Amino acid sequence: MKLEPGEAFPALDLPDHTGRDRRLAELAAGDPVALLFSRGWWCPKEQRHLRELAALQDEFEVAYARIVVVSIDAPEVQAAFRAGLGARFTFLSDAERRWLPRLGLLEESDTLHEPYRPTAFTLRPDLTIHRAYDGYWYWGRPTSEDLRQDMRAISRTVREDFR
Amino acid sequence: MSRLPRGAAWLAFDGSGLVAGAGPGRCFMVDARCLAGEPVRGAFAHVCALPDPDAALEFDQPEVQQVRRDAMAWWIPLLGASLVCITTLALDEARYGGAITVTREPVDWDDDPFARIFPGTLLPSDLFCEVAPPAGPVVERYAGVAWPGGTFAN
Repeated sequence: MKLEPGEAFPALDLPDHTGRDRRLAELAAGDPVALLFSRGWWCPKEQRHLRELAALQDEFEVAYARIVVVSIDAPEVQAAFRAGLGARFTFLSDAERRWLPRLGLLEESDTLHEPYRPTAFTLRPDLTIHRAYDGYWYWGRPTSEDLRQDMRAISRTVREDFR
Repeated sequence: MSRLPRGAAWLAFDGSGLVAGAGPGRCFMVDARCLAGEPVRGAFAHVCALPDPDAALEFDQPEVQQVRRDAMAWWIPLLGASLVCITTLALDEARYGGAITVTREPVDWDDDPFARIFPGTLLPSDLFCEVAPPAGPVVERYAGVAWPGGTFAN
């Protein structure tokens, strides 16, 4: 499976942090998406990066763009983690590793948790990949400025009256 | 009465009952998805609104912004699988008249953040359909449709 710019992102279907079944297209709902695959609540790098994302959500909430985080944490763990972060976006749980092997995003260096390799994608509303980030090394992750630039670029192409 | 934007539907409230459509009672615009499918029978609708036509605030007021943030941060997760749907009540493109949370079972309605703005009235209801909760974090409205309804998708 190629997860590269220009390719369609697979139609993820996973339970959210409340246990409700969700589909990625439904979560996008016609808006650009920042889709992040995260190791899990225990990882200090994830805690730091998701705090950054929680700060950025104040811009997303007025800018018609979505944030979705996927991890192998169970929904109830995600709900607690999300509450602690003060996040208002959706977490999707792949605790059963249903999508992880299909996406080829296993972090092979963590045999204890078998989590997702930290990876991020910015998606157009039709779920075409705009840009991909490999965040195994922390500096490979998208900064808030990267996400702003990507959301701007996508919005410019999909909002007819964006000048 | 305002023009009904795409994705919106009328709902009337007279203080003691709800009617789908434009009356009798005070008319609000709701997220049309809440009335568009198979209704959940025997549900509970917590209507945080008043029949008084002066009971209105602008959607852009900070308290109306914050109550939507609270809905996504903890109210919807607190309701979990009991949630049927949630919609704000729009009077026109700019004004907020309240909100309705619909659940399958009675819940602790004292927690309802929307009741901070207009007091809640609990009603039995067979009107509302199940709608997936908003993904977040967007609190803005789409082309005047009551949050969380509407979309910019074609």
